[in-house]
Amino acid sequence: MYLKLAWRNIWRNKRRTLITVSSIMFAVVCALFIESLERGGHNQMINNMTNFHTGHIQIQDERYEEEPSLDNSIEYDSSFSERILEIDDRIYNVVPRIESFMLAAGEEQSRPAMVLGIDPEAENRLNELKNRIVAGRFFEPGDGSVVMGEGLASRLNVAVGDSLVLLGQGRFGMTASGIYEISGLFRHPLREFNNQIVYLSIPDAQWLFSMEGMITNILITPDQLKYNDPIAENLERALSDENLNILTWNEMIPELIDAIEFDRMSTRVFMGILYVVIGFGIFGTILMMTLERLREFGILLSVGMYRWKLAVIVFIETFFISILGIISGFALGLVVLSYFYFNPIQLTGDMLEMLEEMGFEPTLPMAIAPDIFMWQGSVIFVMSIIICLYPTVKIATMDILEASRS
Amino acid sequence: MSESDVIDYEIENNEAKMGIISTKNLSKIYNPDTIPVHALRNVNLDFEVGEFTTVKGPSGSGKTTLLNMIGGLDKPTEGSVEIDGIQITGMKESKLIDFRLQNIGFVFQSYNLIPVFTAYENVSFIMLLQKRPKKEMEMRAKELLEAVGLKDKYHSRPKELSGGEQQRVAVARALASQPKFILADEPTANLDTKSAMNLLDMMEKMNREENVTFIFSSHDQRVIDRAKRVITMVDGAIESDETR
Repeated sequence: MYLKLAWRNIWRNKRRTLITVSSIMFAVVCALFIESLERGGHNQMINNMTNFHTGHIQIQDERYEEEPSLDNSIEYDSSFSERILEIDDRIYNVVPRIESFMLAAGEEQSRPAMVLGIDPEAENRLNELKNRIVAGRFFEPGDGSVVMGEGLASRLNVAVGDSLVLLGQGRFGMTASGIYEISGLFRHPLREFNNQIVYLSIPDAQWLFSMEGMITNILITPDQLKYNDPIAENLERALSDENLNILTWNEMIPELIDAIEFDRMSTRVFMGILYVVIGFGIFGTILMMTLERLREFGILLSVGMYRWKLAVIVFIETFFISILGIISGFALGLVVLSYFYFNPIQLTGDMLEMLEEMGFEPTLPMAIAPDIFMWQGSVIFVMSIIICLYPTVKIATMDILEASRS
Repeated sequence: MSESDVIDYEIENNEAKMGIISTKNLSKIYNPDTIPVHALRNVNLDFEVGEFTTVKGPSGSGKTTLLNMIGGLDKPTEGSVEIDGIQITGMKESKLIDFRLQNIGFVFQSYNLIPVFTAYENVSFIMLLQKRPKKEMEMRAKELLEAVGLKDKYHSRPKELSGGEQQRVAVARALASQPKFILADEPTANLDTKSAMNLLDMMEKMNREENVTFIFSSHDQRVIDRAKRVITMVDGAIESDETR
């Protein structure tokens, strides 16, 4: 009967209850949206960095981290990839690479470029590079051609079929130079990648840099992100005698982690303000509900109801309202988040320019994860319960007679 | 008559005469440190089982304060209230709540039913607080509503009932806990003549047939006319105490 009483009480003033439930619902949707947007943005940044730059785990020569030079390369053949795959069956992909910076030149222009020697199949499994080709085709291993960023091609004023000269330093100070046919152009949403990357096959890169049988690093992709650290530990153990360094992505790009942390902090501040605004909204309703019913509370206490039982009923009422708001917020939030998950917001105009300048993709992707719902739902719920302390304290301290007369 | 029979007779006779409610030197002063208001002045009264008593007097004479003291809703500045030999003055609040629940029924001027409950649920609720068995609760609630003439209104909510009907539900609710007495503060104040008379008929019948004790505070002549005992209060003191 107490539950019945609480349930009916919340529908005594339908309009007020609906307004409160709606305010909680919109609060939940807002909180979910902000959290999802933040998480989506961070995921995108991490994915871009791990898929195109660092990988989730990287195997390097033990000196490479301190001195990222071709001189500090590691010996590699396909059997090494197979061996790594055998170390941990949660490894999804092994991507060998040669990384160096060179001067890239067309007929008229020259620009610094990041030159990556890759295994096209393994690289494609990592970042679907082939799907980003916008002109020409992807090269075949060892065919003497390269694929380059559309932005770099534009700067060098070259196109598919033209020649590209790469000039720089090879292993142990050897001169590295070569002329390659441009077989394709790719477009990457990140300006940084678009404007400076040149891909060629590993055999061609080994020849160019005078490093037969060597590569600079191996990127490892786990089956699932949660396996990242355990795989790294297993690799560490298995390769401990080989003068190799095993690094996880968060060790390789601490500046990104710092940036994400900073971003999270500012979002927390914003969310805190949002929670306060929402909290006052809910508190206003609970305050009205309490003051309006003081007389009723007084009467119930007069006829023999314990204060704590009355407080429990009011608590249950707040619980019902909160749960209704949160569940409806989850339902609406799921619809909104799903829509924007499949149709990310594309920025245009000045915002697009600004984000590209800053090295970010001009899209606002969303993330959908159960913990986002759990976390935001819990915060709003705890807030409602804290607000419920007001009527509880009021009931605990009210003068029965005064309340009955109010 | 043997000596022991005489003693038994005296005990029975004393018990019969002993009041279930007894106020001793009851005084209440509001705002004692600023502008003192003497709501009650040395009130000494005894109420017995089966009384149908009205405390009358003008507004501010202390009728409601007296009922509040007897009901344990207010604390006296001086003096005490005893119910069935138990002093309720100074009792801990949790014990007092329990005591009220088991011993006192309240009928308020403005009915004060739980608006979201039906008539039946309003009456049952008191018994739920008393933790009575469900079947007993159901049976007694129905019996009481039938007794107050609301057999066909079990499932009506307060807003669907007239003022008189709501006050009848309030009386049924007050009776539901099987209290030793019922305190009714201006029970007819918000009722039209017909409803007031019907309500008084019903309470009079319960007093007559079931020996339910009623103590009213009222300045309604209709209530005063029906009372078997009329206590008149003026300025917080008893002016007269007349048994008819």
